[in-house]
Amino acid sequence: MSESSCYILDNGGYTAKVGFSNQEPKVVPNCIMKAKSERRRPFIGSQIDECRDASGLFYILPFQRGFLINWDTQKTVWDYMFSKECCPVNFSDTPLIITEPLFNFSSIQEAITEIFFEEYDCTSLLRINATDLAEYNYRKTHNNKCTVVVDSGYSFTYIVPYINGKKYRDGIRRIDVGGKVLTNHLKEVLSYRQLNVMDETYVINQAKEDSCFVSQDFMQDMAIAKKKGSENTIVKDYVLPDYTSIRRGYLRDIVKPDEDLEQQTLRLNNERFSIPELLFHPSDVGIPQMGIPEAIMHSIAACPEENTENLLENIVLYGGNVLFPGFRDRVYNEVRSLALDHFDVNVTKADNPVTYAWEGGKQIFRDPDFYSFCVTREEYEEEGKALAFERFDI
Amino acid sequence: MAGVRGRETDRRKVLDDAARKRRARKAVEALEQDNFHEDPHADLVMSKKVPKFAESNEKPTRKKKSKSAEYYKLRFRKTFAQLVEEDASFRPEPPNYMSAQVPPSKFPERHFCAVCGFPSNYTCIPCGARYCSVRCLGTHLDTRCLKWTA
Repeated sequence: MSESSCYILDNGGYTAKVGFSNQEPKVVPNCIMKAKSERRRPFIGSQIDECRDASGLFYILPFQRGFLINWDTQKTVWDYMFSKECCPVNFSDTPLIITEPLFNFSSIQEAITEIFFEEYDCTSLLRINATDLAEYNYRKTHNNKCTVVVDSGYSFTYIVPYINGKKYRDGIRRIDVGGKVLTNHLKEVLSYRQLNVMDETYVINQAKEDSCFVSQDFMQDMAIAKKKGSENTIVKDYVLPDYTSIRRGYLRDIVKPDEDLEQQTLRLNNERFSIPELLFHPSDVGIPQMGIPEAIMHSIAACPEENTENLLENIVLYGGNVLFPGFRDRVYNEVRSLALDHFDVNVTKADNPVTYAWEGGKQIFRDPDFYSFCVTREEYEEEGKALAFERFDI
Repeated sequence: MAGVRGRETDRRKVLDDAARKRRARKAVEALEQDNFHEDPHADLVMSKKVPKFAESNEKPTRKKKSKSAEYYKLRFRKTFAQLVEEDASFRPEPPNYMSAQVPPSKFPERHFCAVCGFPSNYTCIPCGARYCSVRCLGTHLDTRCLKWTA
């Protein structure tokens, strides 16, 4: 059996990347949202695009701390994703690749296996870590032996070393900082300093995406942000959406107070770079953990020494946080300064950091051994869930 | 004058280490929260059938009836804490979820003003927060310092 395409679902804690392997993926919010303005209906996944006024959105997420906890929410969002409205699929004639977090808890793994075989009538299932797909994607284009995959997502940031295509478990490192912590911290800081935006996760998340960058010299940028007038090249105003003429906020230079009085703005100064800085110094908000470059070194140090060189030469970054301008350069510079002089260091930013793992799914489907990685419905009925635990390396 | 004196009595009250740690832990926990306000539809009485998809009514292609979202909620109900506990017996030896967490950095901690976010050199005596200038200290004392402790 060999179908012409498979269905790939990179089931993230904030967005799911979904679609057939012969098409482009859709990025769908993996949550249900409720708006103050529309009392009648909750918005599932991409339905939020139909919402006229997205202020004060209330989130219901299937994931908590990076793990699938709220099954009723997930089932509702999945039903939406697999329906005509989003990306329709019939799993009885299409294999499925679905991603799971590293060290996913066994009862969650069991539940996913059960729900896809018994509820969605799946015929072939491959459960796999998103980092495995990313590594596969990288290895297919670089032909390398070892890779360090850095996945900086919504719930946390994982650093996973791979040796000869296999993840080296003793080297896996997790930093409990992801996009969610960044947005919440920005909300907290702005609410104290300027305007209460604690209820505006959706809007402030966009403000973060539109305004923040990773500093290359943190203390120097702090000094610039302290300057007055035109010498301060960092301070900007973020125009907030009003949902009549402005649907999405935007960053603009500071204008004289008498102009544009109608627009409500937030002034962003050191917030622009001290927020993403948490990925490099989690201790800035009291999370007693290493930042990304130090964690990369810690991870590599846990691997067999003969692989150090090759690992340092193949560091790949993906996940939503990688979109911050300056992210790759900062990681490169810090790893370069931490690594021994005679090693080369190569840090690659994924072309499209959000869908990089999904694209890896596309590649792995073309692998001649693809079906040997999967569990089929017959196998599941014959041998039960134990087989899935054996075959999938989660 | 009264205001200044009021501050002085406040200042004698100093939070102990445990209270400071509790505060810090709460602040970190808040960073994991999904919402800070109530469900805006909480007061609505909604029929259990909502939301439903128009398509699913038109063509009943699936032979067996699909199970409701509510069914799966009950079927797989486990909290994060339960799952972590369960994992400790399922995967007791590292590497596992707990062991993968990175240790503290070996670089020194940096300190920032709790008011303006710029690097700070001073510590508020009552609560241990950081501040950078007399002006920020004033704002801090007026707004946050011991406001939320009984």
